[in-house]
Amino acid sequence: MTRPLNPFQDQTRRHFFSQCGVGVGSAALATMLGEKRVAAKNQVESPLAPKPSHFPAKAKNVIFLFMAGGPSQLEMFENKPDLTKLNGQPIPDSFVDGKRFAFMDSSHRRNLLASRRTFKRYGKSGAWVCDLLPKTAEIVDEISIVKTCQAELFNHAPAKLFMNTGSGQFGRPSMGSWVTYGIGSECQDLPGFMVLQSGPRGPRGGAVLWGSGMLPSTYQGVPLRNQGDPILNLSTPSSVTADQQRQLVETVGKLNLKRLVATGDDEIATRINAYEMAYQMQTSAPELMDIRDESQETLDLYGIQDPQQASFARNCLLARRLVERGVRFIQLYDTNWDHHGGSTETLEKHFPSKCRDIDQPGAALIRDLKRRGLLDETIVIWGGEFGRTPMGEVRQFTGRNHHIDAFTMWMAGGGIKAGQVYGKTDEFGFGAIENPVHVHDLHATVLHLLGLDHEQLTYRFQGRDFRLTDVHGQVVDGLLA
Amino acid sequence: MLFSGLFRVVSLSVVSLSGLDLRATGCNVLKLGLSVLIVLLATIAGMAVDARAGELRFSRDVLPILAENCFACHGFDEAAREADLRLDTKQGAFESGVVVAGNPKASPLIERINSNDPSDQMPPPESGKQLTEAQREILQQWVLQGAEYERHWSFQSPQRSEPPSVPKARHPIDRFVLSRLSQSGLTPSPSADPSTLIRRVCLDLIGLPPTLAEIEKFNDDFARNPEIAWQTLVDRLLSSPHYGERWGRWWLDQARYADSNGYSIDSPRSIWRYREWVVDALNQGMPFDQFTIEQLAGDLLPDATVGQQVATGFHRNTQINQEGGIDREQYRIDSVFDRVATTGTVWMGLTIGCAQCHDHKFDPIKQEEFYQLFAFFNDQDEPSIKVYDPDLNVSEITAQRKQAEQDLGAYFVSHAEEQIDWETRLDEEAKKKLPSKVAKALAVEATKRNLVQKLEIASVWRGNDHQEFERLKKRYDELNRLLSNAPTTLVLRERETPRKTTVLIKGDFTRPAQEVTPGTPAILHPFKSAQERPNRLDLARWLVSPENPLTARVIVNRVWQQYFGRGLVDTENDFGLLGARPTHRELLDWLAIQLIDGSWDLKSIHRLIVTSHTYRQSSAFRDDLSKVDAENRLLARQQRLRLDAEIVRDVALVACGQFSSQLGGPPVYPPIPSAVMSQGQVRRSWKASTGADRYRRGLYTFVYRATPPPSLNVFDAPDGYSSCTRRNRSNTPLQSLALMNDAAFFEFAQSLQRIIEKDGLEDAFRSCTGRQPDESELQLLRPLDSLTAARVLLNLDETITRE
Repeated sequence: MTRPLNPFQDQTRRHFFSQCGVGVGSAALATMLGEKRVAAKNQVESPLAPKPSHFPAKAKNVIFLFMAGGPSQLEMFENKPDLTKLNGQPIPDSFVDGKRFAFMDSSHRRNLLASRRTFKRYGKSGAWVCDLLPKTAEIVDEISIVKTCQAELFNHAPAKLFMNTGSGQFGRPSMGSWVTYGIGSECQDLPGFMVLQSGPRGPRGGAVLWGSGMLPSTYQGVPLRNQGDPILNLSTPSSVTADQQRQLVETVGKLNLKRLVATGDDEIATRINAYEMAYQMQTSAPELMDIRDESQETLDLYGIQDPQQASFARNCLLARRLVERGVRFIQLYDTNWDHHGGSTETLEKHFPSKCRDIDQPGAALIRDLKRRGLLDETIVIWGGEFGRTPMGEVRQFTGRNHHIDAFTMWMAGGGIKAGQVYGKTDEFGFGAIENPVHVHDLHATVLHLLGLDHEQLTYRFQGRDFRLTDVHGQVVDGLLA
Repeated sequence: MLFSGLFRVVSLSVVSLSGLDLRATGCNVLKLGLSVLIVLLATIAGMAVDARAGELRFSRDVLPILAENCFACHGFDEAAREADLRLDTKQGAFESGVVVAGNPKASPLIERINSNDPSDQMPPPESGKQLTEAQREILQQWVLQGAEYERHWSFQSPQRSEPPSVPKARHPIDRFVLSRLSQSGLTPSPSADPSTLIRRVCLDLIGLPPTLAEIEKFNDDFARNPEIAWQTLVDRLLSSPHYGERWGRWWLDQARYADSNGYSIDSPRSIWRYREWVVDALNQGMPFDQFTIEQLAGDLLPDATVGQQVATGFHRNTQINQEGGIDREQYRIDSVFDRVATTGTVWMGLTIGCAQCHDHKFDPIKQEEFYQLFAFFNDQDEPSIKVYDPDLNVSEITAQRKQAEQDLGAYFVSHAEEQIDWETRLDEEAKKKLPSKVAKALAVEATKRNLVQKLEIASVWRGNDHQEFERLKKRYDELNRLLSNAPTTLVLRERETPRKTTVLIKGDFTRPAQEVTPGTPAILHPFKSAQERPNRLDLARWLVSPENPLTARVIVNRVWQQYFGRGLVDTENDFGLLGARPTHRELLDWLAIQLIDGSWDLKSIHRLIVTSHTYRQSSAFRDDLSKVDAENRLLARQQRLRLDAEIVRDVALVACGQFSSQLGGPPVYPPIPSAVMSQGQVRRSWKASTGADRYRRGLYTFVYRATPPPSLNVFDAPDGYSSCTRRNRSNTPLQSLALMNDAAFFEFAQSLQRIIEKDGLEDAFRSCTGRQPDESELQLLRPLDSLTAARVLLNLDETITRE
């Protein structure tokens, strides 16, 4: 499925009218162009229209719950008695010799730090889960907990780029962009790749994390905003009436159509479509955001106190609503998971509060998707850009440094094996001793479930075929249902 | 057998060639001879073919197949080479016995590519690569014809040629283009009408639409004498200061310019003096070789001027990681990687960055050569300098300040007793009330106080002659302000002791290998330096040496691309083995030689292009072309191009009468939607500019890399993370939302509404599109209220398109 040279730089490409989601314009086009030969085969396709995958897919959509900052697996899923036993002792040299870490010139230390939490086993899989995640504990039989995730970069911004794009370099498309480029989106009145945020600030790296890199901006993630318009410039200016807005869209369409007839340029047909979709979005996005039609039971399930208030819980519910509408790739960023032990980032106080923020909503999302029959076709991924070291850091309070050799993520839904713990780490949770899952492997697996061969989903740029997985990546069979 | 094979060739290629229907002529094709057929196929497939093709040519027909399918394992990269076989050199192919010239049957190469046995077949099935029947046929023919190798086209010097003589065509560009068109039996399109022409050339040369008065004047002039009218217009535009803004942006894309440090913290930076330098240099017509030298090595020129230092900001447009816990050296090295790759892309059109971790897979660039280039960029410090107003006589002011300091000093000496007297009379209570700085100054022994401390004390103590003091102080403050007000800008400065540069294994900065010295890739022209250790200045001169086969071609190609939406070489950033071949090689070479021979004067190249008929053709689609050349590679018409992001804004500004034409200066903050700035880690403030700064060109909008201005971003403005040699032109609903609802565009619509109310619908229509609306268009617009009509006009596809 290698695509030709960048179609968006190619002004004369032939388009095809999309099969769905187009109203006034296409009908009018058909009539007006009936006479003109330009028209005959000018069916204009939205670049986001669904496209066939390489092979039959297991899943249709992806929801990626991104814990920005790097959550501590050792306080969530990794029960390591040896860590407790050897608390305060230096980790043996054999583990760390030749390794590099963040903050090597300041607060990084070699002394092991016992987990701050207690653990119990849950579910048929007997997965260890800490006391801060009671709701997650209830869904362990729906998910695969992957203990052996591995990344390559240990500073936040580059590591986030890596988790999203498979590269620490800027300018590469993120996974959501690759996916929508590969198979389009089922939804024609919302963007195919949407990004929601919770937490006190945006994630480190900003827009580039959902950027489309060298792919056309059509495929970039569109932030669904918490304040103001849910999509930038979505509302009609306040002094403009609904009638005026409709007149605007209709007249622009008609005049553009005349120009299309005069010039024969398909780009104009694409633009006519774009205006119609934008106009539809003006209705569909507020509908999406208006969760008053959700039952109290559902709100309670997610733990949504105030439906108007932005939160990770509300974002999880919105994610389900986006999936229902056929949006292909949804990414939720929850920030402030960087618990080094500074005064506002302790494992004792701040970390538990983050866990409370995400525990119930994340579990509710899985339950809610399942009862609506959507979990089978939706891949849910939970995790951050990296994990934390078994060693403690020397700061005002307790905390851990960034760690890339083994950290925990979980996955669930479409095509993912339910109820297993995958991969094994050593006695301190420092390194993977069985079944490591590199970020590239994770990417390859997600693409595979969507029916895409990660080696064939390529884009030619600067003389070479780029891939999400660069020249790496293997589908992790052990994660497949 | 041969014939059935042939038929397969034809039918397969039919499938792969959209818009070309050969099936109807299939029987006729069978009657053609083999070589003709292959040429025909190559012609159709590439549309990029030289005229006088009678037999296979290695670099045109064979090399692309080998490069794409074989070189990854049998190419230049020694480490990745399989079976010790290389096919990128004649020696490799012949000595291994894999190719037997003139004898396909005896050549294992041919046997392997035709094999159906997966363990034997080449390329192997797991590579995901597969040769088409036509490609196999070409390789077979090539071996049959002797398996000649030839140097990749772009590594050969541009070849001088006379433009072909074509009836009725005088302009050299037209002669090249028409000659190629006529080979395909095509004719050019007629000239566009005058109102399209003036808008087109205004948008292309200065990035602004013409005013109504300019359109009228041009129409009149055109009616009298089209040619003179055109020449006059082009001359006026090329000498307009807006030319530098328009083409400055073209260059700033390549320079990955933005106003912040990138990565997670993304703090603002001050480097806009570099942006100004680019605009000024282009406006002044600085020759491109000098333009290159000053940006890559201005600091190394003898007696480097401030401007020449500012120019080195080109390579300071890399990001700076300010995140906690990083290893600074790692990110310094990353910025050097970026400098090497950017230099390779911008000047040479080569993907040199691919050799960072290993030898280049396709182009003959060794990893060691990458680090030889790296060595040029490894020996700099990265300071910022103050840039004074050029009208300011800095040495004079500095001298005056020194005098003012002495005057103040003398004042304090002459009033010393008086002051000590005051000081001794201060009781503890009074001392407590003094500002801390004053108290600190008083704590210093009187004879040891410096001027700053004395001035602190003088802020509370009034001497007898206080007026005199105030006069001196005011003078001193003014001079200080003059000197300190100067903005800073980021520059490169050569270190006194060079760093040691080594190859880095897999590009990992913790894994140094053998040491290297500065140098250039051996495949290109020889590198000369009079110095023991060559530096960036030598590199810059090497890049713009007339012997360099790449730089001039790459640059004229990128200029061409702005005018036609696509370069003569489609892959504007890859002139290497995997890149596209030029559609008009002779024209490309001719233009490159024009650039070099014409003292690297870019304005001459612009003038050449826009005065051609090729440029002035109508852009309307033609049925006859849609079959033969749907992608318009042969240029039988112009191309409609959606405007660049900044120009979408500029056009609306001019049309609605709000445009501020002020040139240069610090970046500005036009209003943006709220909460945009909270997408990054650090919420940056965005205090919207007031007054005319709200209506400046898009070029001047402050760009944060992590939170780019949405209305520019949505129209594919580059983000400044890496060099952008060609913008995408996407066409999305989010663009529609921006044009319809964005507060800034709505404000423009309100201004345009006033124009409609004052001057009428037709004038407003012409301000937006440059042309008179026809009656049917007016009928659609008239029923609308004036605000809606104004919004319609700003939203038209035509308004944001260069026709």
